[in-house]
Amino acid sequence: MLRLININRRLGDFVLSDINLEVSDGQYYVLLGRSGSGKTQLLELIAGLEHPDTGKIFLDDIEITRQRIQDRKVGIVFQDFAVFPHMTVFGNIAYPLRARKEDKKSIADKVEKAATAMNIRHILERSTEKLSGGELQRVALARTLITSPRLLLLDEPLSSLDTSLKDDLKRLLRNLNKEGQTIIHVTHDYGDAISLAKRVGVIHNGKIIQEGSVNEVFNNPSNRFVARYAGIRNFFKVDISREDGLFVGVTEHKIRFKLNGVTPARNNLLLIKSDSIIISNEMPADIELNAFKGKVTEITPSEFGMEVIIDAGDLFYTNILTSEMGKLRLIEGKEVWVSFPSKAIVVINGN
Amino acid sequence: MRRNSIFTWIVMILSSLVLLFIIAPLAGMFINTGATQFLETVKDKEVHQSVWLTLWVSFTATLIFSVGAIPFAWLLARKKFPAKNFVQGIIDLPIVLPHTAAGIALLGFISRDGFLGKLASFAGFDLVNHPSGIALAMAFVSLPFLINAARDGFAAVPERLEKAALNLGAGYTKVFFTISLPLAWRSITTGFVMMFARGMSEFGAVVIIAYHPMIAPVLIYERFSSYGLNYARPASVFFILVALLFLIALRLLSFKRKVKYINNDAETY
Repeated sequence: MLRLININRRLGDFVLSDINLEVSDGQYYVLLGRSGSGKTQLLELIAGLEHPDTGKIFLDDIEITRQRIQDRKVGIVFQDFAVFPHMTVFGNIAYPLRARKEDKKSIADKVEKAATAMNIRHILERSTEKLSGGELQRVALARTLITSPRLLLLDEPLSSLDTSLKDDLKRLLRNLNKEGQTIIHVTHDYGDAISLAKRVGVIHNGKIIQEGSVNEVFNNPSNRFVARYAGIRNFFKVDISREDGLFVGVTEHKIRFKLNGVTPARNNLLLIKSDSIIISNEMPADIELNAFKGKVTEITPSEFGMEVIIDAGDLFYTNILTSEMGKLRLIEGKEVWVSFPSKAIVVINGN
Repeated sequence: MRRNSIFTWIVMILSSLVLLFIIAPLAGMFINTGATQFLETVKDKEVHQSVWLTLWVSFTATLIFSVGAIPFAWLLARKKFPAKNFVQGIIDLPIVLPHTAAGIALLGFISRDGFLGKLASFAGFDLVNHPSGIALAMAFVSLPFLINAARDGFAAVPERLEKAALNLGAGYTKVFFTISLPLAWRSITTGFVMMFARGMSEFGAVVIIAYHPMIAPVLIYERFSSYGLNYARPASVFFILVALLFLIALRLLSFKRKVKYINNDAETY
């Protein structure tokens, strides 16, 4: 198990602060954050490439905060792979074994086994200068895994791969994790996080701002930043009051949200998932629903069909299927209704 | 066909003038050296000895000093330490010093009264008027070329590769010899060749330390001052040709070495 306790590290103007993290054995932990959020720096601290100013790092209850990189049993695969350009694929994978002065026969056997597992046996004698991104990634992984690390750190391993290679590598990483390999994977990609993680931490401006299972984090984002990561674009700053025993949230533009069963927070910010919003040409019959009349301002193709933006005083972002577009005969400028149940609203702290 | 602009024409003319300035005196020297004179010089034992002395002393000096200069260059490229800029300035000092002044400074250090001179005396030889003294003079004025080129070479090696090697369990020495050094090899070789070339062309510092045994630049000077231009010219041509051959051979060797690293690294260490 890896434990980080109150880690602080200043790097120029950037500060990693109060990092507390626990990653249990066999975990697939994804650290999600934008570029410049401090996720790579955190990996480098764990790997020992940098040292924290304060705080402690434990691996299997042994303190490794100041331990030499070579002795940590923590393997790291860099974003740019850091494959040695002056060596062949064989030379790269054999490098850690040669550093340990293993005999030639044992090196050849182990390299062949690792290369077979990574499906790169056929390129063992090739120069690394002519390999594709996917092949380089596998070489870097094989080279690290041959050291049997207690902990595998992956820095944006999927960022430079095309979609089909990404799927292959994801399968490979899942299998590695199933075989018991503990993995910490940093990425800026929400999709990678939900498809691989057992546990997620969101890092922003050098702080881990939310942590938990994928469902916990993305269904109950603790703030606007995490919500944006989950693809939520409907945010409304509201003043909450009580009317006839029910909570009501009113925006600056006088849009009134019925908040049945919603617990208000400090500095209230309402968020609504785009998929929860229904568009109709007529006013919905269910009076329990929040329903607002507005005008279609923009229709753009999206990953799931079409994204329709409706101005009802405040802007509502919705996703609908292309087939529904035809049924509703939506065009820009058309007046429509947007509606959603109160339970689709999440109230978070606006700060 | 695209026509060149006036600016390009001006640049091309200026470049040609600079090139001509370098080529013309050398070409003139080659043209004005008669075949008979040249063949006599080729057979001249004194010329042979002096050219050979120049080559091997400069090469040996470069080789020996590279043992310290290359790690020093790595240190400058990789580590931060107090007064680093000052240290860098000291390295460049021999380039700006008048070389005769450098020779005088070195003479104080290696003469029998100097620290190094005393040490040599204990070992039973005198550094002044000795090939080892010549080697020190050559190294003194040419070391910056090796250190600076090697430093730039190490600086161009991505630090991430060294960190990756450490992460894979290699010690610092192993990382230096298997990652940093091979990847900076081309710049180091360039620096090595430049140091060697600069060392063998040195006159000012060497003539203060050792008039005899005579290295080629001193021999050429001596022939010029004693017998005149016509007598000095064939020796100059011979020295230039031999030095060129040696430099080309070194360049070719370094190129082959680079290719070998790429293809056969699996078997090289």
